[in-house]
Amino acid sequence: MNDVLLLAKTHVVTALRERVTLFWFLIFPVFLLTILTLIFGRLGEEGEISFEISLINRDSSSATAGDFSAMIAEVFTKMGSPHIEGQKPLFSVHVPQADDDLDTFLEREEHALRRGHRAAIVVIPEGFHDAALHAVMNPSGIAQPATLRVYMSRNDVASEMATEIITHVLAEVDREILVRTGHFDPGKAIARETVWAGQDTGEIRYVDFLLPGVVLMGFFTNGLFGVPGAILFNRDRKVLRRYWVTPLSVSRYLAGFALGHLSLCVLQLVLLLLLGRFAFGATVEFAQLDAVLILILAAVTFMAFGFLIASLARTANAGMAIANILNMPMMFLSGMFFPISGLPTFLLAVVYVNPVSYLVEGLRASLGVQSSTFPSILLVIVPLGWIAASVAVAAGKLKWDVAR
Amino acid sequence: MLAEAVLRVSNLVKHYGEVRAVDGISFVVPAVTVFTLLGPNGAGKTTTLEILEGIREPDGGEIEAFGARLRRVDRAAKERMGVLLQEGNFEPYLKVKEIVALFASFFSHALPVSEILDRVALSEKANAMVKTLSGGQKQRLAVGVALVNDPDLVFLDEPTTGLDPQARRNMWSIVSDLKKQGKTLILTTHYMEEAEALADRVCIMDHGRIIAEGTTRELTEQLGQETMIEFRGDGLAPESWTELQMCCEAARSDGETITLETVDLPRTMESLFAWSRKQDIPLHQFAVRQPNLEDVFLALTGRRLRE
Repeated sequence: MNDVLLLAKTHVVTALRERVTLFWFLIFPVFLLTILTLIFGRLGEEGEISFEISLINRDSSSATAGDFSAMIAEVFTKMGSPHIEGQKPLFSVHVPQADDDLDTFLEREEHALRRGHRAAIVVIPEGFHDAALHAVMNPSGIAQPATLRVYMSRNDVASEMATEIITHVLAEVDREILVRTGHFDPGKAIARETVWAGQDTGEIRYVDFLLPGVVLMGFFTNGLFGVPGAILFNRDRKVLRRYWVTPLSVSRYLAGFALGHLSLCVLQLVLLLLLGRFAFGATVEFAQLDAVLILILAAVTFMAFGFLIASLARTANAGMAIANILNMPMMFLSGMFFPISGLPTFLLAVVYVNPVSYLVEGLRASLGVQSSTFPSILLVIVPLGWIAASVAVAAGKLKWDVAR
Repeated sequence: MLAEAVLRVSNLVKHYGEVRAVDGISFVVPAVTVFTLLGPNGAGKTTTLEILEGIREPDGGEIEAFGARLRRVDRAAKERMGVLLQEGNFEPYLKVKEIVALFASFFSHALPVSEILDRVALSEKANAMVKTLSGGQKQRLAVGVALVNDPDLVFLDEPTTGLDPQARRNMWSIVSDLKKQGKTLILTTHYMEEAEALADRVCIMDHGRIIAEGTTRELTEQLGQETMIEFRGDGLAPESWTELQMCCEAARSDGETITLETVDLPRTMESLFAWSRKQDIPLHQFAVRQPNLEDVFLALTGRRLRE
């Protein structure tokens, strides 16, 4: 057993020590997840930079001129109206209608925030004006600033940006208040308190749709490039030949190789899930039996596919060329990154024979991210068919040595 | 160990298409022997070795290894063999000690990694990645890997090709040490000096056939009681060349060196010196020597080994 484990370790260690492999196996999927989430994460919303925020002024303590609460409300409302004709303002501000109940309105807006439809909610609490007045009138300097509440959504880039802007705006307002009331010492009349809105599971966010696709892309790249690469380069450079003059059998070599390959997939999976969860706030739960089985099926299918390529290529470079040719169509005609709809028939045909399509749908369905358009039996049968075909071809055609 | 045969090969045949790379060769390798296949490039030495190492399937013939008759070399035979391939690489991103441990795991019995590294003087490089090693260090690692299972039979395919003189000396002393430890070694080379320095028995191969076999002495004695005289010389005029041939049994030139064969050394020397004075040819790098394997190969094939 030791030989198999050491071969597995060899495969993993080699991949991790080689910078090129490291890039394709680990850094590229992470990079892709980042880029796509940032670009398309707000798909379906406004294209230009503009943040939807809500403003609720609950302070009814005073409505006199010089009211701090009204002043702040005014600032945000002004920022929400277009300054230049045809250009969108930075904020598009949602305020309660006259007959709205403030609690109901806040609840509705919080829901929108959780779904990513609002970037932030600013709430001016009851008694804010009095608190601010007290703060600036205190002869011994600012003791207790008046506090404004900002609701934001964790791990949402737009929310973080909007909150950042709001903070700057408030700092400006604060400075203005202090100067106008004759305070020249540094201090704070108003402060910001952050309220975290939870995430809503009712609607699937783009990162949750994308993450399973990126995980599968990682497995796919591993199999498509990693398998023929490792085998063919080692065969051509006569690394394998050194193994074959020892008692090591091809089957034990394969066992070690497969174990190493799957370990790399697991490593990649863990990395992407951690990134997805902590950097992009993905909520999709991979630790379910269905999902795990599909992931194993996917890793094995792509590995078998790699063996198929290795057996069709005479040299390592030819193997890489075949992998490159197959890479793009198989990846993009599978619904890995974007939902497939409205494709012309001949492209749909590719989608239907492509094992990636079934694995992507299978994984998303098992994660509850998207329901499958294929009959569920096909989600397993088609990849299994590819495994069987690949193994059959590789068993007959794959050459383990350069011997003529 | 008894001087029984470790390996017997009879009528081994291997074709590559039309080419008969190995054309029905037979030989016996006694235990605790350095057995050498000597021949020019393309003679079929490496193919023969690759069949015996188990990485090529023969088209015909019989192999008997360690007393067992085999269709092709099997796992049990490989457990007792160590192989230094003519060409071959290691995973470039593995460390030296990882390589040795990996190969050790392939055998049911293996020596400790540290002992192997000690033997091939790579202990200091234990944590270095293969890609950082020099050519000589890589070759030493390959030797270490070939010895990892403490084999009874060691194959060394062109072990010193491409090595500098220092590394070649190291390799020769490793071979001598292995023989002292009671190993049987099969070695291929196209360096006549290497065969003479190391071999107990020499098989001379050409065009897939064995054209002579024996100890170096037996082979050179086939040439009779001849003594060789060599000196530097080129561009002799035809008439001085004719006169020179009169001095000896045979004379030949490879463009740089003139070699004379004689059975009557005093007579040839006298006529040669007379010829030298008359022709005003200074006989630079003059030497008298015994016939060597190169002369044997030349006598048998009319060609030189390194042509």
